[in-house]
This record gives sequence, C-alpha cells and structure tokens, in this order.
Amino acid sequence: MNTKKKGRWLANLLNSEKYSSFTVSVLAIILTLITASVLLLLMGKNPLVAFRSFLQGCGFLPKANYGGGSGMLSDLTDFLNYLAPMLLAALAFIVGFKAGLFNIGIAGQMLLSGFVATIVIGYNKNLPAGVAKPLVLIIGIVVGGLAGALIGFLKYKFNIHEVVSTIMVNYIISYLTGFFINNKFVDMLTRTSRVCAPAARLTLTNIQIGGVNCKIPFGILIAIIMAIVVQFIFDRTAFGFELKAVGQNKNCAKYIGVSVGKSLVASMAFSGILAGLAGVTYYLGYTNTIIPKTLVGMGYDSIAVALLGNSSPVGSIFAAIVVTVFQQGANYMSSAVGVAKEIASLITGILLLYASCGGYMKGLARGVIQKDLDREAEAKRAASHKEDAGQGKEGER
Amino acid sequence: MTKVFTDGLSFAIPLLIMAVGAIYSEKSGVTNLAIEGFQGFGAFIGALIAVLLMPVLGNGSQAVIYIAMLAAAVGGGLYACIHALLCINFKANQVISGVVVNILGLALTTFFTSAANTAINGTASNKFVLGVSTRFTVPGLSRIPWVGGLFQNMYPFEIIIIVLVVFFWYLMYRTRFGMHLRACGENPQALDTAGGKVELTRWIAVIISGALSGIGGICFAYSILSQYSPSIYMGYGYLAIAAMIFGNWNIGTTALVCLIFGFAKSGGQQLCIAAGLPSNYSDLFLMLPYILTMLLLIFFSKKNHPPKAAGEAWDKGRR
Repeated sequence: MNTKKKGRWLANLLNSEKYSSFTVSVLAIILTLITASVLLLLMGKNPLVAFRSFLQGCGFLPKANYGGGSGMLSDLTDFLNYLAPMLLAALAFIVGFKAGLFNIGIAGQMLLSGFVATIVIGYNKNLPAGVAKPLVLIIGIVVGGLAGALIGFLKYKFNIHEVVSTIMVNYIISYLTGFFINNKFVDMLTRTSRVCAPAARLTLTNIQIGGVNCKIPFGILIAIIMAIVVQFIFDRTAFGFELKAVGQNKNCAKYIGVSVGKSLVASMAFSGILAGLAGVTYYLGYTNTIIPKTLVGMGYDSIAVALLGNSSPVGSIFAAIVVTVFQQGANYMSSAVGVAKEIASLITGILLLYASCGGYMKGLARGVIQKDLDREAEAKRAASHKEDAGQGKEGER
Repeated sequence: MTKVFTDGLSFAIPLLIMAVGAIYSEKSGVTNLAIEGFQGFGAFIGALIAVLLMPVLGNGSQAVIYIAMLAAAVGGGLYACIHALLCINFKANQVISGVVVNILGLALTTFFTSAANTAINGTASNKFVLGVSTRFTVPGLSRIPWVGGLFQNMYPFEIIIIVLVVFFWYLMYRTRFGMHLRACGENPQALDTAGGKVELTRWIAVIISGALSGIGGICFAYSILSQYSPSIYMGYGYLAIAAMIFGNWNIGTTALVCLIFGFAKSGGQQLCIAAGLPSNYSDLFLMLPYILTMLLLIFFSKKNHPPKAAGEAWDKGRR
C-alpha cells in the first residue's frame, strides 16, 4: 500500500500542470546521474568523487590545490565564459523548435559568424574596444541571421527538410572556412587561425579579482538578456504567438491568418541570430582562435540543453548550467579521477536520451493516476453496491 | 577517368546500402535521421570485433573483414532498437529521437573506443587501425573503354552489398512482408484492419535499417578511412538520407542518385589533381557532394512523395 502511495505521489508531480515541466527534467537528471554512477562503478571509480570533481572543475567547490594566480573564482569565471555561448545556442534551438523546425546547423552558423567577425573585426588592430565589440556583435547577428534565413527560405520555397539542409550547410561552411583559414589566416605554430585582437574579444582576460586571475565574459550578460527577451517574445507578442501557432499546427495557423512561409523564414532567421551571437561569444570570447574544419560539439549539446529545459527560455538557463558543469568540469574530473574526458559527452547524450522520453514519462504517470482513480471508483461502486444489497436484504426482512 | 569510376563506385555502394536502410525505416512510417548514428555504432562494433580477432586470425586475413561486416550489421541492428523503442513504443518525436540517437552514438563510440584501446593495448587512442580491404579486378569487363573503371580495383564488399541491395529490393516490392511494410508507412490503420501487425513490422524495419547502415559504416571504415575513429561521423548518413529523398523513397532511383554522388566526389578529387592545384585546395573539392546535394534537393524536393504516415506514432484507436 505504501509503495503504491509513493508511486502516486511521483505520478502526481509528473503529471501536474504546474510542475510537470520541472519535475520531468529533474527526473531525467536523476536517472542520468544513476546511469553515470553505474558506469563509473563498473570502471572501478567512485561516482561521488567524480561528481564532486565535476563541480570543483567549474568553481562551485574548492579544489584541493590551485596553481599560481588561479583560484575558485577563476574556475567560476571560466565556467561562465563557456556557459554564455551554450545558453545562446540553446536559445537558438528553442526558437526554431517552437516553430516546429529543428535547427541542427547551430554549429555551422556559429562557425560562419565567428569566422566573419574574426577576419573583419578581430584582425583589424586599429579599432578601439568601444567600437570593435559592438561591431562583433552586429556581425554575429547579421551573418547568423542570414545563414538561418537561408535555411528557412529553402524549407518554405523548396520543401527541403531543414535537418538535411542544415547538415549539408554545416559541412560546406566547415570546409569553406577551413580552406580560407588554412590558406590565409593560419598561425603556423598552432595550426589554428591567428588570434584576434584583444579589443575585439568579448571576454576580458587576466583581470585580477581578490588576488586571482579572472575572466570577465560579457557574453553571459547578453545570453541572460536574450533568454528573457525570447521568453517575452513567446509569452507576450503576436510574433511569438504566430511562431508557436505554426509550430503546433500549420493548417490551423493558416486559418487564423498567419503567413506560414514568412513565419518559417522569420523563426529560422531569429534562430540564426541567436546562433550567430553564440558563435561570436564562443570564437571571440571563450576562445580567440578557430580550429579549421572543426564544428563545435556545442551545436549538439545545445539541443540537450533545450530539451532538458523543456524548451522554455528561462528554464534552459538552469539546464545550460547542468550541461555546462559536465562539459566544462570534465577536464578537471579527468585528471582527478582518471576517466577519459569524453565521458562528458556521453553523460550529455544519456541526459538527452532521458529528456526525450519526457512525454512518455508523463504519459506513464497519467496512466498510473488513471488506474488509481479507476480502482478507487471501482472500490466505491463496489461499496455502494454492497450497501444497496445490504439495504435490500434489510428491506426483505 | 577510370579512377573516377573506380573511386566513385567504392563510395557510392556503401552509401547505397545506408540509403536502402533509411528507405526501409521511412517506408514503414518511422522517420529516420538516425542513419548517421547507426552506421557509426555498427562500424564501431565491427571494428572492435576486427581488432579483437586480428591477432587470432593473423593481420593479413581477409576473413576478418567479413566477420566484421556481420558484427557491424548486428551492432547496428541492436543500436537501432533505441530508435525503435523511442519512436514506436514511447511515441517520442521521431526527429528528436533520430538526433538523440546520433549524438548518443558519437558519444558512446568515442568513449568506448578509448576505453577498449586502453584495455587492449594500454594506450587511450581514439581509433582502431583496420587497414584497407584487398581489391580485385574483374577480368574482361575491366577492359571495356570508359566504363571499364567500374570493374577495376573493386572491393569484395561491393559485390556483397549489391547482392544485399537486390535482395532487399525483392523483399520490399515482391513479398508479402514488403507489402505490409509499405502499407505501414502509408496507411497503418488499413494494415491493422487487414490483420497485419503495425508495431512489429515497424520494429523489424528499423532494425533492418540499423543493420544495413552498420554494414555501410564498416565498409567506409575499411575503404576510404582505413581505420575506425570518430571521423567516421562525416555526415555520410545524412548524405544517404539526402539520396533517399532525391530518389523519392524508391530503391532503384536512389541507387542512381548514390552513383551520381559517388562520381561527383571522385570527379572533384580527380579534377583537383588534374588542375595541378596544391593539396590545400582539396577542401574546396570535398565540398562538392554537399553542394550538389543542396542543388539537387532544391530542384527535386518539391515533387517527391514521402510515405504518408512517416513521422507519426501509430495510435490504434485513431481514425
């Protein structure tokens, strides 16, 4: 009886209108941690130590010892530096997803905007920081927006599935920028693109705070502002409503007078803008160089963030923190515990797997509740039946 | 010129078997963007078995390749169960499921490749070195001018795949099972009424899809890559999907499209060499198949007819 009650309690939480978006994500995280723990145990490592070192690597918990000039705060600012593009990329996915589009090309859009911003502004040594930084952002917005709009246009005009076209465009961008970097902008020593001017970089480095070396990422401010803006657009504006309408039912949207084609292009352009911002905060913030012919894994990690955040912009802030802890903390975890750092991607993948089962979990919960209700109703009916029968018998006497 | 035919064919044929896998899944009503993950995971299992067997059977043994192909098919089929479970039983969004399977596949194989390497030879390398399969030349046919290149330096797996493709073409268009499978993708309710099992048919189709993709993956590993590494996720799975769309979900047409892709790729490379450009420029020519795909899709996406029920979870109670 007790276990049944417990199941019901969990089912209620999962199925409730108010909390389900939150509880399903939390359940996904818990299941992921359990799976990862089993994996770590199988490898003969202590999962608790591993999880602690993930947090230590991100500056949430103090490490045992620090190198000269660095401290907890430097790890934390590093973490925020990585969180910014992650959150922006997740927002990019969410905007497309709400309109029923899967922007798998975030990594490519990031690379393209980062590349253009690097060669146009980053290599221009004469611009003062006050001009260069806003210009970098504007380039990110314009290039990303155009790249996204192209995908939306292809979908609307030629009925090309956006997943296929974005993947193709990803490879084209990757080879094209790789070609230019290798031939014109390569640093012979590192085999990556030459570093861009500090004035253009969106992250201030080597700032002393409390005696430790810190970074100040402007990207995180932009990312959080954009999360709120996107939330506002979807909750409060006609544009956001139209995008959601197209995402839920194209025919219905057409009937209420929404121009479906325009919405498709607009949502992909908007998604591209956010991906472009993610690109400049990544390539001119988190790093200041581009590795040729390499698409960042963040393009896919952002999908995990978006699904885990239940495709809510503000929710994805928290989801981005969770995923970034694994990605960013992996290096320290790897050296502290001795597990290959690729386990971070594996954990993200498992998280994604559970998050994508969210609908099924909810359905399961609803089933449990329905069964319980049925059983109660059955019991009630049986009881009243008995009573009736009892009364009947009494009447006979 | 002959090199264009030889290389083009050896690229087109593994692509074709992956595309046939994609067709099976989509024809049964399960949208399949997971081909990329299936081929990578299948190839991983195949390569793992090959690496384990090579010391036993001797390094030069060609039997390893056939065992690896079988293992890749089994591995791909098993891995496809995740996609089937999510799409058919859990009724998850099929596009999301496909993306999830791809991401998880890359993460799983990358992690376990280095784990396996650490266990086998103590170095955390992220690749299995496989070498290249031997080649053979068909006597007589290879002497034909122009098209003779098709029959020169062939990989044995090309023959196996062609046989498989013919078999799966027959299975889809000439058997009762194939009929049921196609009905599943067009009108599952009708199949259910006629007494067919929709969910079972879809499960089988997705597993076939995984198995065929796995074979495609291991063949790439044994030919153009000569190793198994995360670089196997080069987007060939998506290229196969593009071929399927352009081929209008029809195995015959898709085969032609794959050949075009193959010749575009090898043609681009030979063009680069013939023009005497430095190797830096090869990146530009590597873009060719992707650009060609985009152009072809622009011209042909409007007219095609995807299976009607693809992308929807089957609901027995719905009318």
